[in-house]
Amino acid sequence: MKRIAALSAVLLALVLPALSQDWIRTGTGVGGEKIRIAVPDFKIAREEANAAALDKTFNQVLFNDLAQAGIFDMVSKSFYPLGAIGLPADAHLDVWAAPPPNASMLAFGNLGISNGALQVQGWLFDVKNAQNPQVLAKQYRESATDDNARLIAHRFADEIIFRLGGGITGIAETKLYFVSSRTGHKEIWAMDYDGAAQHAVTHLNSISLSPRVSPDNSRIAFASFYKGGPNISIWSIELGRLLNFPAFGGTTLSPAWSSDGSHIAFSSSRSGDPEIYVCDQNGNNLKRLTAYHGPDVSPVWNPKTSAQIAWVSGRSGLPQIYTMDSDGTNVQRLTDQGYAVSPSWSPNGQFLAFAWIRHYGPGSPGASDIYVMDVASRKWVQLTHDGGRNDFPSWSPDGRHIVYQSTRGGGEQIWSMLADGSQQTQLTFSGSNSQPNWSWK
Amino acid sequence: MPLDADIYGHKDAMAPSLAFSTALHAGLLACIVFLPAVLSHTGNDWGNNGSGSASGGAISANLVSGIPLPPNPHAKPENVLANDSKGLSQSLPAPAAKEDDHAIAIPDRQSKLKPQNQKPSAVAASPSRPLNAQKPSVAAPTKEKPREIAKVDNTVPFGSGGPVAGPYTTFQNGNTTGGLTFGEGGSGSFGSRFGWYTDVVARKVHQAWQSEVNPGVTSAKRVYILFDIARSGSPSNVRIEQSSGIPSLDLSAVRALQRIDTFGPLPQGYSGNYVSVEFWFDYRR
Repeated sequence: MKRIAALSAVLLALVLPALSQDWIRTGTGVGGEKIRIAVPDFKIAREEANAAALDKTFNQVLFNDLAQAGIFDMVSKSFYPLGAIGLPADAHLDVWAAPPPNASMLAFGNLGISNGALQVQGWLFDVKNAQNPQVLAKQYRESATDDNARLIAHRFADEIIFRLGGGITGIAETKLYFVSSRTGHKEIWAMDYDGAAQHAVTHLNSISLSPRVSPDNSRIAFASFYKGGPNISIWSIELGRLLNFPAFGGTTLSPAWSSDGSHIAFSSSRSGDPEIYVCDQNGNNLKRLTAYHGPDVSPVWNPKTSAQIAWVSGRSGLPQIYTMDSDGTNVQRLTDQGYAVSPSWSPNGQFLAFAWIRHYGPGSPGASDIYVMDVASRKWVQLTHDGGRNDFPSWSPDGRHIVYQSTRGGGEQIWSMLADGSQQTQLTFSGSNSQPNWSWK
Repeated sequence: MPLDADIYGHKDAMAPSLAFSTALHAGLLACIVFLPAVLSHTGNDWGNNGSGSASGGAISANLVSGIPLPPNPHAKPENVLANDSKGLSQSLPAPAAKEDDHAIAIPDRQSKLKPQNQKPSAVAASPSRPLNAQKPSVAAPTKEKPREIAKVDNTVPFGSGGPVAGPYTTFQNGNTTGGLTFGEGGSGSFGSRFGWYTDVVARKVHQAWQSEVNPGVTSAKRVYILFDIARSGSPSNVRIEQSSGIPSLDLSAVRALQRIDTFGPLPQGYSGNYVSVEFWFDYRR
């Protein structure tokens, strides 16, 4: 009998751990899912003349910013329970947590105008946490204009994205600089990241190309035919005029700022062959980095370290993407075939985006598409597929969006997308617009 | 042994051995029959992860103790009854009691005392009142009303309760599963107070993990990684708490954390300077 008892004890010992293990192994990709957020329209706190119009702008911009962020699954507005929410007391979290809204997060608030000032209070609540729902509470006050309603919406959206995205700096306040010929001349233009507030920056009545904004957002470097042959010009946004910059001679093109704003890299044919040069931000201390037969153009610094430069070289025939250290050593070729141009380095230094015609030449259906390559592993992924010529990618400062130029809609226009190729959105519609550059912050 | 020994007549005491043998075989048989069923228990364990909710199911926090014990899945999490998911069953409203129109109320002895009970304080407050002013009924000793006992109802109402809370935020990435446990200096309530932040951390780690595991590996033991998140949100002090025994898996888990610059600043309501996180990783192809 004793032996039987001992035996069953052994059996139990064998079986019990098997029962208790695997207890936690469940779930399907929860961590990768997007956050389901509901953004009911902000309530108008005080009815005044244009409060409704500003409220409309505000709600539209806020919803659009969050939808564009790429980390949210927006709850369709048709699922929202009735009744406006202006204050936390109005928010019945259980209703929002249950289907149909089934939201995880709720952003709400109120908007009012008093003495000509637009006042906005906004909250972000974790719907599934009944005890401590508040994640964020913000209050904004600006003069009551449509632009400020847009600005406050951008700021509140940025704040939400920063919190829930795990430190993603929002891009809602960033700007895009691009070349537009809608005035008859190719001038540098600027717009908000969502395509709003498009306006000309330069009025040079010349040809201006490849704008690159400085890391402090105070200057724009671009190639211009303003004084004869193409030269680097620096435009001060603060002063609204061109700054002095030496003309290096030859065809001098494609400037690029180092991430601390202290250096500019560019391509110049002053010695006969287009080569990569680096100088200080005021044009001093010119240094030549490349010395190899064949064109070298379109340099771009690694924004994370400023210790590396990627550029396009035709030294082996068709243009390919290369990288080197910022002193010209350690040259490495990244692309192995086709026709690769327009590199843009992601803010964290991990990826290069570029335009690539992978099968180039007679008999090949060459389509220029945007690709992203992991610099360390040389693995690449194609982001655009659907026809048209796609070129000039530029990363957003949060490293999650790419703006580029595409002809898929007919003429050259500016488009933006998430860095995985989804959510492609056209930003410009009038005239011909090209060579976008995303500001650093 | 003499040749004429009666070997067939000899009675051996076989019964106990036979009984043991039978029991042993029965036990072995049961073992063979039931063990596969038990070991292959990999079904969808209910109640661990919220379905479809981006909040990653239930979250609670454990202290990361000094001793690197594997986390106890049966540790009692906080707020078991007040988390985000629905209860296990829907409670139906009690059927309303039907009043019989023809019923005649039975006179209750206690009912007479009811009006008296409502004014005991008046009596107590004015003891000097002349007796003749008092109503005779008040003279009866005033009984104190029994105190109302709060009704204790342990059942979780439909929609307001939750699954048995798992002590982790978990996520799955292809053939790997990961999870997080939050600890901190004093109390262990970080995970339940700032569930959204634990989700942010889980999502970030999930996005940063890339398959760098040796392709020959089909399964591995769970690897535990410890790291701290500073107030600014930057991870630091990444270290392997318990290796899986497979270097490429350990390395891929550490690299996932090294790829992350920041998780975003710690929640404003949290007063500590950092929070330590235990992060585990299962790999199976």
